[in-house]
Amino acid sequence: MPRLTVASDDVEVDVNEGETILEALYRNGYAYRIGCRRGGCAICKVDLVEGEVEYNRTVAEEVLSKQEKAEGICLSCRAVPVGDVTIALREENLRRVASLLAFFQKA
Amino acid sequence: MAVMRMGYMHVKVTDLAEAKDHYANTVGLYQTLEQDGKVYYKGWDEWDHHSVVIEEGGIGFVRCGFKAERPEDIADIETKALAMGYPVERMAAGENAEVGDGITVTLPSGHRIDFYSSMTAWGLEVGTHNPDSFPRHMVGIGAPRLDHALLWVGDVAGTEKFFTDCVGMWATERVQTSLDDDAHTIATWLTIGESNHDIALLEAPENKIHHFAFEMRGWSDILHAADIMAMDDVPIDIGPTRHGITRGTTIYFFDPSGNRNETFSGGYRCFRDRPTVVWTPDQLGKAIFYHQRELNERFLTVAT
Repeated sequence: MPRLTVASDDVEVDVNEGETILEALYRNGYAYRIGCRRGGCAICKVDLVEGEVEYNRTVAEEVLSKQEKAEGICLSCRAVPVGDVTIALREENLRRVASLLAFFQKA
Repeated sequence: MAVMRMGYMHVKVTDLAEAKDHYANTVGLYQTLEQDGKVYYKGWDEWDHHSVVIEEGGIGFVRCGFKAERPEDIADIETKALAMGYPVERMAAGENAEVGDGITVTLPSGHRIDFYSSMTAWGLEVGTHNPDSFPRHMVGIGAPRLDHALLWVGDVAGTEKFFTDCVGMWATERVQTSLDDDAHTIATWLTIGESNHDIALLEAPENKIHHFAFEMRGWSDILHAADIMAMDDVPIDIGPTRHGITRGTTIYFFDPSGNRNETFSGGYRCFRDRPTVVWTPDQLGKAIFYHQRELNERFLTVAT
């Protein structure tokens, strides 16, 4: 099970098989700035500091270009970690909206 | 200047299969044609061939069309638009499948607005002879008809002038920097007289589409729509709730590409002599989300 580390917040969560960065964080009770959640609005971009992600659904070039992908920018609502990854949020921090969620899932 | 309504909305979608599933099975539109990478849909209470066109490849606004009663009405709009300096192209019959002759006006924002007076007739799902009140086998949300769209543009007051001076629309509501006469217009809701608004404009740094909306039959249909969205795992932006602007009830949600849709119901009767409602930015929360009275993170930031 890959580990997702959020460098800007010193947070680490497990990622389920096929889960996106957004899904993994929200499932663990964290929130951050997101939009359509479907890869169209480009609001949820984060920086990939370490590791690799893959996209199992089409992402429009105008939302996340090949150039941006090469620069390590990823669309967190569509990016699925391949192995352990570390990301950094842009100009914001994670919000802890449901701290018990992480606790429930460890039990 | 007898334009009747927004007749069609044409958007790009990243994945055609997922989009088809959304518009047919979740929204409940009826597919009438699939051709050249585009799929055409109509609502159950519409009589023309289509009101929604989805096209694979990218996301966002392609064009929208307003239906006029007669070719003379379009000629009138063309004359006025040319006189005001807007780029106008002739639209040949069939250029958009099943749509007759018309014109395309390109707004300063780059949005292409078609005007046409004929579209292949398709018929109402309930028919016109001794009809029932709704189709017996409605699907999902069961959206009856396309109602309006909200576009992001750089110059709201300037763009509004096209719709008022060339098309004969008027503003039912506006968001302005103040209540003074010389206030700057941030957003405007424009009608041709049937719906509370047929097109709305919001000031933004990018020229995009904020949402397009389906008109529902009432608050219980809005609640039902939200239940369908839960069943179909559709991300909801906000709702069910009420807008301060227009008093309409609403849900904003996203199609599989991220284009924002709305299920909208209500509003009020619009007459040309109804005074225009004005909102100021300090009350924008109440204006958009009347119950919560605060904006969420997405309303002013997400568009395609």
